[in-house]
Amino acid sequence: MEMDFGIEKVFTIEALGLEVTNTIVVTWIIMFLLIVFSLWVRKNLRQVPSQLQVVAELIVVGSHWLVDNSMGEGKRGFAPYVMTLSLFLVLGNLSGLLGVRQPTADLNTTFALALITFIMVHYHGIKAKGGLGYVKGFFEPLAFMFPLNLVSEIALPVSLSFRLFGNMLGSVIIMALLYASASFIVPVIGHMYFDIFAGLIQTFIFVMLTLTFITLQMGDVN
Amino acid sequence: MMEHLWAFLETFQLEELLLWFSQFETPHLVMAASALAAGIAMFAGVGPGIGMGVAAGMAANSAGRAPGEIRSVTLVMLLGQAVAATAGIFSLVIGLLLIYTNPLVEESGSWVILVASTLGAGLAILGAAGQGIGQGFAAGKGVEGVAARPKWHSAIVRAMLLGQAVAQTTGIYALIVALILLFANPFV
Repeated sequence: MEMDFGIEKVFTIEALGLEVTNTIVVTWIIMFLLIVFSLWVRKNLRQVPSQLQVVAELIVVGSHWLVDNSMGEGKRGFAPYVMTLSLFLVLGNLSGLLGVRQPTADLNTTFALALITFIMVHYHGIKAKGGLGYVKGFFEPLAFMFPLNLVSEIALPVSLSFRLFGNMLGSVIIMALLYASASFIVPVIGHMYFDIFAGLIQTFIFVMLTLTFITLQMGDVN
Repeated sequence: MMEHLWAFLETFQLEELLLWFSQFETPHLVMAASALAAGIAMFAGVGPGIGMGVAAGMAANSAGRAPGEIRSVTLVMLLGQAVAATAGIFSLVIGLLLIYTNPLVEESGSWVILVASTLGAGLAILGAAGQGIGQGFAAGKGVEGVAARPKWHSAIVRAMLLGQAVAQTTGIYALIVALILLFANPFV
């Protein structure tokens, strides 16, 4: 698929035959920042928290709150993944403010994340209902609904990944045109809507949909 | 009346029309189709327009009923409308891609397929119109909910955003098909 609108090759790792694109470089930078941040906070944990520790505590408490509110009590095991996913998506979507191409405007990134969601949904579905109950779920409410259920399950990662990708690609294209046609002051408004507002909303939606789909597949919340 | 129509259809020669088209160079035909398709694509803006108007109407109604909650009503209205505007953004993206970087212009191949693919991309994104209407309606209902039960503000907004995201699915499918027709077309 040649849908790599504006994705550029930065360099090639000859030994592995890997082509490193700007998406991968920005992803690496975000990973590096997140790892350094978490290691630093862990090393400097204090009873009286520093400013950075307060931020970290806020993020952790926030992810706990989100998991408790959308999945029910006793599902805190999902909180670390939710937190990491949110932080990566927030930084990824906001990286457009620095003038780099958002890694989330690359279908490879969003589809990989949606695939993780897809696997989690079905893993926890099988775990919660048992193999037989899981298969039976495809034949509900009526047996001939099986193809429809199957299609809607496959459509899940597609729509999840393209939702984020489509919004961020829109941001990339419109911002590029704005910078080309009116490069003074005007792009600020574009950044406010397309990067900050759409970026944060799409982060929230991606995370919430992941949680909701897992909860639905696991069956009864209580 | 019908006789006139039949007479017209008999004189109308499809082959002649195709011959007339083929006197132009292929890139020019694709460019003309791009211009037409970009115009068609922007018709999808009708959907978000209706949806955002519905949300605004419901917000005005709610503000009248619960004048104390005017700030949160306005906030939820703007939030919902901004999400409903995504359909317009999808069509804008396809329209701009068609105008500025239609990759089919440089393709060599049968002009019929290139022109049809270009027009098809513009037509496909029209499907995003429904998403805009639905999301706007959800935004309006969210506003009414917040006005009636301000305490549950965050729960209502979360449900609204989640539902709007699912309502977006068909618009995303339209975007996928439009992008495939332009960038990963199996026919060319």
